[in-house]
Amino acid sequence: MSSHGVPRASGPKPTAQGREKELQRIQEYRSLVATVNREIHQRYYTKELLGMTTRLLELNPEYYTIWNYRRLLLRSFFEGAIPSTSNNKNDSTEHGTVQQYITDDLAFLLPLLRKFPKCYWIWNYRLWLLAEAARLLPSPVVYQLWQKELGLVGKMLTLDSRNFHGWGYRRQVVSALEELSVAMGSASASMTEHEFVYTTKMIESNLSNFSAWHRRSKLIPRLLSERNASHAERREFLEKELELVQRALWADPDSKDQSLWFYHQYLISNFKPSCSPQADAIIPDLPDADKLAYLQAQIEDLLEMLDGAETCKWIYQRLLELSLMSKSLNDQWPVASSDLEIWINKLLELDPLRKGRWEDLRKQIFPW
Amino acid sequence: MSLVSGPGRAQVAGGNLPNELQLAVEKHVKYIQSLDTRKDELEYWLTEHLRLNGVYWGLTALHLLGHPDALPRHETVEFVLSCQHDNGGFGPAPGHDPHMLYTVSAVQILVTVDALDELEKRGKTGREGVGRYIAQLQDRDDGSFAGDEWGETDTRFLFGALNALSLMRLLSYIDVTKAVAYVQACANFDGGYGVSPGAESHAGQIFVCVGALAIADRLDLVDKDRLGSWLSERQLNNGGLNGRPEKLEDVCYSWWVMSSLAMIGKLGWIDKDKLSKFILQCQDPELGGMADRPGDAVDVFHTVFGIAGLSLIGYPGLKPVDPIYCMPLEVVNRAVGR
Ligand SMILES: [Zn+2]
Repeated sequence: MSSHGVPRASGPKPTAQGREKELQRIQEYRSLVATVNREIHQRYYTKELLGMTTRLLELNPEYYTIWNYRRLLLRSFFEGAIPSTSNNKNDSTEHGTVQQYITDDLAFLLPLLRKFPKCYWIWNYRLWLLAEAARLLPSPVVYQLWQKELGLVGKMLTLDSRNFHGWGYRRQVVSALEELSVAMGSASASMTEHEFVYTTKMIESNLSNFSAWHRRSKLIPRLLSERNASHAERREFLEKELELVQRALWADPDSKDQSLWFYHQYLISNFKPSCSPQADAIIPDLPDADKLAYLQAQIEDLLEMLDGAETCKWIYQRLLELSLMSKSLNDQWPVASSDLEIWINKLLELDPLRKGRWEDLRKQIFPW
Repeated sequence: MSLVSGPGRAQVAGGNLPNELQLAVEKHVKYIQSLDTRKDELEYWLTEHLRLNGVYWGLTALHLLGHPDALPRHETVEFVLSCQHDNGGFGPAPGHDPHMLYTVSAVQILVTVDALDELEKRGKTGREGVGRYIAQLQDRDDGSFAGDEWGETDTRFLFGALNALSLMRLLSYIDVTKAVAYVQACANFDGGYGVSPGAESHAGQIFVCVGALAIADRLDLVDKDRLGSWLSERQLNNGGLNGRPEKLEDVCYSWWVMSSLAMIGKLGWIDKDKLSKFILQCQDPELGGMADRPGDAVDVFHTVFGIAGLSLIGYPGLKPVDPIYCMPLEVVNRAVGR
């Protein structure tokens, strides 16, 4: 959207020669823009014009109007290959041509995506191409195209495991593959198990990957409902997840890593009077008495963790959060009020940036 | 108005900073005024697709700095009108396709310089035509909004629609209840919101989702304690704010995070003094403008969000900013009739 992380070297002033060259580049760029605009408005839809948009987009992929022009061009080429009078989705010559256009264009985008992984317009255009494929080509062909996308986005997320666009794109690829499987009559269309395994793999390679933890939090409710999990199985599942995150926290309790603490927050949301958003619940019908028991166990575990990690603000924060949740269930504090006081003071000492928040918390806990 | 970065460079942290950092008001005004005179740089032409946003960013910064007349009003209005299409929508510059993002900027600029009546008289359409352009981008089934005729949806566009329509008092053109339900579907366990249902919380998306709920008068739906906690954890020890866990600080996030905190009444949950120091370190005190972080190239985008952030935390001498619209508070009050 603008310059991010671009260091500006305060180098020498440009030479006369350098300025001359800059003016020449401006001249070339503007003339290319003018030609493309003119030919589009004259509906002069040719391969040469497509080539000019390629050059322009390689120079400036943020110029979204040019992406729109490219869509107009391709639509006209598709129309030429498959006349709208033809209703036959199975004519292989016609489809061969359209498929070639689409795969060529998908290939053209690859180096651009590598160079500009945060450019919204490239990702949008790619999705549009695949939607066109779905509109014009037989399902098995489209399915193969989408499967390649799954491989591509896997590679991109290996390179940058927090890329927002990458994770979003992955969700879209998966839902497209699922829809196509259903359309093709497959009995096991869901990829939830597959994706859950993927998040495990991503987390194992880097515990600080909050994007992977987040995705996991969204997959779990779906996973359990697809497994037709019983109440007991859901409890077992939640306990295993708690163990997983606690093991990681124990390994480095003083860690500044927020990802694990936020995932832990997701898990303990199940012990609130009502889980929000409701759709995220792992055990939708957990009795209050069991919630209280879980909360108590969590508090004890964290108190143990505190030993040797007295400077980790997250432990105090979570202890207070758990205590408040417990209080909201049975109107009793699960610990002595002197403990609550100590924890708040610790937070004020360890985390002065958020002083206002800790003071508000004190007022909430000790309203008198 | 160009988005070209530089030529200035923000201060490097730990350098020879004065004890009391001051906002270089006059330098920022000059910097913004100079942006449209740099047509001999290729960057000026490569950023043409952001021209109308650039005008909104520069104009808003100037208003907050107390120099509302530093850009010529007549030329500003003429430029905005030259970006409009017959269907009511606006592109970022003449010859660029219409899109929600630029239509919102156009409305914000026209409202800021009080020129909606000129749109009525001289626009390709009047405000009702602009409202219809925005309204037809809503998906009447799920309440979401597309950015343009090609159909990409994003909560940014939903917020933009509510923002522009409320400024023109045309909210009745859309299904606000469904839009609110769509925002709800983007909520996450951490109290935040993502770009679409299922997406990870992100400070920029939180700003647009909370802003949309604020305009729809449905802030009661926000889990304010949880969201406030998550947002307050965006502040790092250097005072700057990041946009997601384990990411770098950035001046534009001072705006997304703080305006969201302001909307839910939790502005006191971060350290304002440290943030204000961080923002001031990102300015170029000689040539004007602000960068994403100290030592980087300045641009008008980070300049406006840095200044708006300072305004929100009450930096002396700045005009108050509206946390929902990122426009001068008095302008928004006049437009929406508060
Ligand atoms: Zn930024």
